[in-house]
Amino acid sequence: MPSERHRVHCRAPRRGLSYRFAVRCEDASLAAQADVVLAGLREPDAGAPIDHWYSLTTTPGGVGTFDVRRDEELLARDQRRGDALGWLVWDVNRSAAAASGQHLLFHAGALEADGIGVLLPGTSGSGKSTLTAGLTCADFGYLTDELVAFDLMTGDLLPYAKPITLKAGSFAVVPALDPARVLPPGTGPWSGTEWQVPVGGTTGRRVGRPCPPRLVVVPRYDAAAPTGLTPLSDTEAFLSLALHAVNLLPHGAAGTAAVAGVVAQSACYALTMSDLDEACALVQGLVDDVAAVVPHGAVDAG
Amino acid sequence: MRADAARPVALPARRAGASTVALDDNLAVYDDVGQLLILLNTSAAAVWERCDGVTTVDALVDELAATYPDAAAVMAEDVRQTVDKLRELGLVADAGS
Repeated sequence: MPSERHRVHCRAPRRGLSYRFAVRCEDASLAAQADVVLAGLREPDAGAPIDHWYSLTTTPGGVGTFDVRRDEELLARDQRRGDALGWLVWDVNRSAAAASGQHLLFHAGALEADGIGVLLPGTSGSGKSTLTAGLTCADFGYLTDELVAFDLMTGDLLPYAKPITLKAGSFAVVPALDPARVLPPGTGPWSGTEWQVPVGGTTGRRVGRPCPPRLVVVPRYDAAAPTGLTPLSDTEAFLSLALHAVNLLPHGAAGTAAVAGVVAQSACYALTMSDLDEACALVQGLVDDVAAVVPHGAVDAG
Repeated sequence: MRADAARPVALPARRAGASTVALDDNLAVYDDVGQLLILLNTSAAAVWERCDGVTTVDALVDELAATYPDAAAVMAEDVRQTVDKLRELGLVADAGS
């Protein structure tokens, strides 16, 4: 029987939008962490083809560190456990964007609440991942914190439930999501500069279903400002979405019309936030307002 | 080429393949050829919409001056600058050249 050191743990197929992959790892506890972290990306069809394999292997001469490869390509070497998973998530995200160009993609967070899609376009550092995490903990359905796919055929936002990536500045705001608390016992300690917060599976944080966007909220973290909402004009909302679109120009006139359509069917606000609980409450209030005016069938559909 | 670029546009015509969406009083123009998305403000949108390849710039100035009499004094300069900018962006060509 092979020793634990050399045993390869092959894991279930995963899918992020149109990107199929799987992970193999020679360290049992890191493989278990990967399983939990990637819970939201589980491919329901166990027999689905796997396009790419990620390998997490012990760094030769390293001290409990790992090398990360996609197929034969070395992505990173000599990484701590959490950082190795961070590299994996980063590459999955990049690859999912590259493989899913049939959809209109936005750099944004997204959630679902009773069939109402909430879009949170924002640059890095705007607080969109933290807000997405807060809303997910408030029982919104999680769609993504980073790469939103808008299906041009159905008009729905699609789930891409990668783990929520939180940077150090957010740790104190959402201490309940500390991987040390979130990861099940027996998966080993977390060591990484970022948190990869799992959603779906048995985590207690649910993945949302496909749904049409009805609410656009553009977050901006400002520690010195009171938390509050400002309505956006159609032009302002359009610009916010267009500027955060990943592949608008390749979709041409159809993409431009789709963005305008999202604006037309959505309530659009800028959210300045310094307090996460207040921000989440404001978004919940907006969802309630939208639910009151959207036809009942539209909210329940999906 | 350089001489054409310097010559004022006489008969501005919107480029075929450009599509628009209205946003408030503004207009987002997507140019399929240049793969360019431009947001035009109200006054630029008014010029763009009148670039039909038939109306001359002078006639366009007169029409807009009549529509916006408060801005009549600066209309000629504004319209010519806007048409030049639209040509520079490839959104307008001179149907008379």
